[in-house]
Amino acid sequence: MSAVGTVHEGAGSRRGGIGRALTGGAAIVTLLYLVLYLLYALWEPRALSAYTFTSLVNNSAPLAIAAAGETLVVLSRGFDLSVAGVISLTNVFMAVWPLEGPGGALLSLLGCCAIGAVVGAVNGWLVAVLRLQTIAATLGTMIVCQGLALVVLDAPGGTVADWVSYELTDSLFGIVPIAGLVVLAVALVWLVLLRTNTGVGLYAVGADEQAAMLSGVSVRRIRFVAFMGAGILYGVAGFMLSAQTATGNPNAGAPLLMLVFAAVALGGTSLSGGRGGMIGSIVGAGTLMLLQKVLFSGGVSSFYTGIFQGFVLIAAILFGRAVPRLFGNGAQR
Amino acid sequence: MSAQGNGAVRFDGAADNRRSGGVSKETINAIVVFALSIVLILGSRFVSPALGSWSQVLTVLTLASFLIVVSFGQGLVVMIGGLDLSIPAVITLGGVLTAGWVGAGNAGAWYLLPAILALCGLVGAFNGFGVTVLRIPPFIMTMATSIILASAALGYTSGTPRGASPEALTVLMKTSWLGVPAVVFFVVLFVLAGWALQSRTVFGRRLYAVGANPDAARVAGVSVGAASTLAYVASAVCAGFVGMMLVGYANGATLRMGDSYMLPSIAAVVIGGSSILGGSGSFVGTVGGAILLTTLGTVIAAIGLEQGWRTVIEGGIIVAALFFLREELFARLRRPGRS
Repeated sequence: MSAVGTVHEGAGSRRGGIGRALTGGAAIVTLLYLVLYLLYALWEPRALSAYTFTSLVNNSAPLAIAAAGETLVVLSRGFDLSVAGVISLTNVFMAVWPLEGPGGALLSLLGCCAIGAVVGAVNGWLVAVLRLQTIAATLGTMIVCQGLALVVLDAPGGTVADWVSYELTDSLFGIVPIAGLVVLAVALVWLVLLRTNTGVGLYAVGADEQAAMLSGVSVRRIRFVAFMGAGILYGVAGFMLSAQTATGNPNAGAPLLMLVFAAVALGGTSLSGGRGGMIGSIVGAGTLMLLQKVLFSGGVSSFYTGIFQGFVLIAAILFGRAVPRLFGNGAQR
Repeated sequence: MSAQGNGAVRFDGAADNRRSGGVSKETINAIVVFALSIVLILGSRFVSPALGSWSQVLTVLTLASFLIVVSFGQGLVVMIGGLDLSIPAVITLGGVLTAGWVGAGNAGAWYLLPAILALCGLVGAFNGFGVTVLRIPPFIMTMATSIILASAALGYTSGTPRGASPEALTVLMKTSWLGVPAVVFFVVLFVLAGWALQSRTVFGRRLYAVGANPDAARVAGVSVGAASTLAYVASAVCAGFVGMMLVGYANGATLRMGDSYMLPSIAAVVIGGSSILGGSGSFVGTVGGAILLTTLGTVIAAIGLEQGWRTVIEGGIIVAALFFLREELFARLRRPGRS
């Protein structure tokens, strides 16, 4: 496979426009999700119960929202490591200052979003204005956030407000998981964003920064918005994680770092920017979490879950590349 | 981030800039990083009288030796426009196998240690295969390898690694010659060899060529796939060796022993003046970056702040270092006339 071929492929998919970029990766990972769920139902008859589904969605929601945020940055051709820091920081914020009742929950959510927005703005400033390398700059902010989380809470402990940990992990009418509604809301905001100039600019900057600049896109503004939006979503992810774990841990975000990138990649978003979308990342996150359950119900020791996650990730990338070729897009090579 | 294809074509402009002023920029960067380390060590006297001494310098060099060895491998991979996220998992693999297979004493160490390094090299070859033949982006490929290896190590040890350090490694990590820890001699030799390999051999020049522009390198007759794969193999062997060094240092292995080296290995390379996009950088700069990061760690630890604030300062300093070492600043230093 020649590198020249790769270039053509890149150009071809850009011509294909946002519509295809959206559906391509997301469709494959959705198919994968359904197949896995079928396996799960075969091995574990309880898989089809509302309770199992709710707990699955609850488990996946934090990773899904964090991956959705990361997608914004990856689409604009960057990497954001601060996701781990923001989740840890918001988690200890929730555990150290629990606010009861629906009003308290809303206030906590706003607080989490504000923390994420501040970190995102710092990232955006470092990357868009000072032009530092994204991976290195966000490495710095991630470490700072981890440190701040340790300052707030130096060992695992604390309790998240009961209202948050009960209501947000519950389900509506016994069938619709609340956490799922939150993820759905994120997805809807994304679909609206796609119709705006910012949404289009995100893909343009990620695909070809120079071309985007020449056609009048403010690269600086797009980069800044991407990091800030991502930060806010990490805040929401930290909020949902706190609801799930009901306690604080200054290292809560660290285990999610790799999984976030795995979910984004699994969802069909190109890690070199310009192609993919948030829907794929959300389903990708769900798939990674579902895989754990499927393996467990299939009798695989939880020690070995990672081996499967790793190979599924590689297979999904190869499969995602092979499918468009089967449907005629390969003609150009 | 891809070693081939899109990345190189899109960043042609950037690559050109780098090549025109490459050497001088890298030299300045290395000097700045080393100077900062020295200033920091001397300045640390004000923090505590115990600091700033010759013995502190030796402590820093001993602690930096781990980071220097992993960063050499990471630097080679970054050089070709890749990134190796499997380093922590390979460190753990090397450590767990060393403690488990060889254990205390020296029985079988002469063939088991090389065998373990070869196994780590195979992991690197797997990374290289995924990146060059299957054309999976390095970020994802090495991450997948990392997830797979960590899980395999967890299963193999059932959660608790056993065994102790072989004698040979204890000697390397714990003894001193002429008042200087043996590992410092080793690291000096390692740095010389690494610098020669990267800057003075055909293999090293090929890596620069692949990183700057893989298509041009291919046209020039460089076997891009083989050169890239070798970089991943070298990185994995270095990581595996650091696993052994850590076993010698701590007299045992843990499943998380590699975790604290992933981000510092990238940070050392970037602070050392390499572009994360590949094609530029020098090992001497990376060594400076590793020493600077370690010095920072020990000085901050000595201030007596709580862990949280120490971490905050560490992160802030990484950002500050990046800010002061960024390319525009060097461009201005070189051409004061242009703004």
